[in-house]
Amino acid sequence: MANIFEIAPATIRPPLLLALETAWPQLAEPGAWLTGAQRLAVVAEARHAWSCGLCRERKTALSPYTVTGEHDDLGDLPREWVDVIHRVATDSGRLTQSWFSEALDAGIEEDEFVEIIGVAILAITIDAFADGIGVKLAPLPDPQPGTPPRERWERATPGPGWVSTTAPNNAGPELEDHYVNGRGQFNIVRSLTLVPAAATQLFALLDCLYMPNPSIRELEGIDRSISRAQIEYLAARSSSLFGCFY
Amino acid sequence: MRLRVSGQHTGTEYDMHSVVEGATDTSGLPQGDLMNAFAEGICNRNPTQTEAARKGIVDTLGEAAMVDAAAVIAAFNAYPRAADATGIPIEEFKLEPTEGLRKELALDALPSRH
Repeated sequence: MANIFEIAPATIRPPLLLALETAWPQLAEPGAWLTGAQRLAVVAEARHAWSCGLCRERKTALSPYTVTGEHDDLGDLPREWVDVIHRVATDSGRLTQSWFSEALDAGIEEDEFVEIIGVAILAITIDAFADGIGVKLAPLPDPQPGTPPRERWERATPGPGWVSTTAPNNAGPELEDHYVNGRGQFNIVRSLTLVPAAATQLFALLDCLYMPNPSIRELEGIDRSISRAQIEYLAARSSSLFGCFY
Repeated sequence: MRLRVSGQHTGTEYDMHSVVEGATDTSGLPQGDLMNAFAEGICNRNPTQTEAARKGIVDTLGEAAMVDAAAVIAAFNAYPRAADATGIPIEEFKLEPTEGLRKELALDALPSRH
């Protein structure tokens, strides 16, 4: 992966390059709930989702929940995992609490769910950046051996959304840095904290792609080649394209 | 919305409808059309649109600007998905200050309004 962005036709800020080089191999390592091979299968399925006929049909439907059928999938993951990955990849703005509950009813552990979406989102994010700067998508690395501990993170509590999260005042050492500078006031920072590593891996990259603390005025202390207004337009426009209220 | 806050800070007024409808030359945002095309190309996975916008940004603002723009768009391929897949609600402290804007842009009607 390092070579993919190091030989990119455009120069990438060193901190961002480092964050990309750190994030990509993490996808191949065992997580808290998924093996390295499972995590890479999630990445592959997230990429494959864009060519799924069912997802295309759902995307154009007034409600995606009125369209039934089978996903076109790679065959490496349980059907209920595939539905989670495909919907998050292709139509995230219309996910519902019922959909989430059905995923759990189908046998996905809540913690597994968080790691699955965390891996899928991390991969989608890296691929989106590659698309943007005109680099071919990176080939998947080899899975790293190891067994995930699959132990519930006991500091997590229900809310503020559908998924349990860790409140900033209950972070513990694992999430202390994640909530640095009071940014735990933003619910999005809490979103994946049921699985601390999923949260910290994703946000380590997002902090470099966007900014670690959006509360700052303009670009104080941040070196960017576009204005704060252009940054916030791109942020808001991208969110709008995904139908995201948050 | 932070775009409006940024405008207040710099004394610039932006057309907030451009966020929902796509920027035009009259939105008040410098290179708004290019920024919009780049965001649409990447988020909609349209390589032709992405390539054209990428070239336009490089020609107009330089390569570093293109990389920074791609980085922000990539980040906002993540935040919305993380929020919407976990049902994360908007923070209480944002509700009142954003009420007018949410009404103006009909944002409360979005399916992802948890």
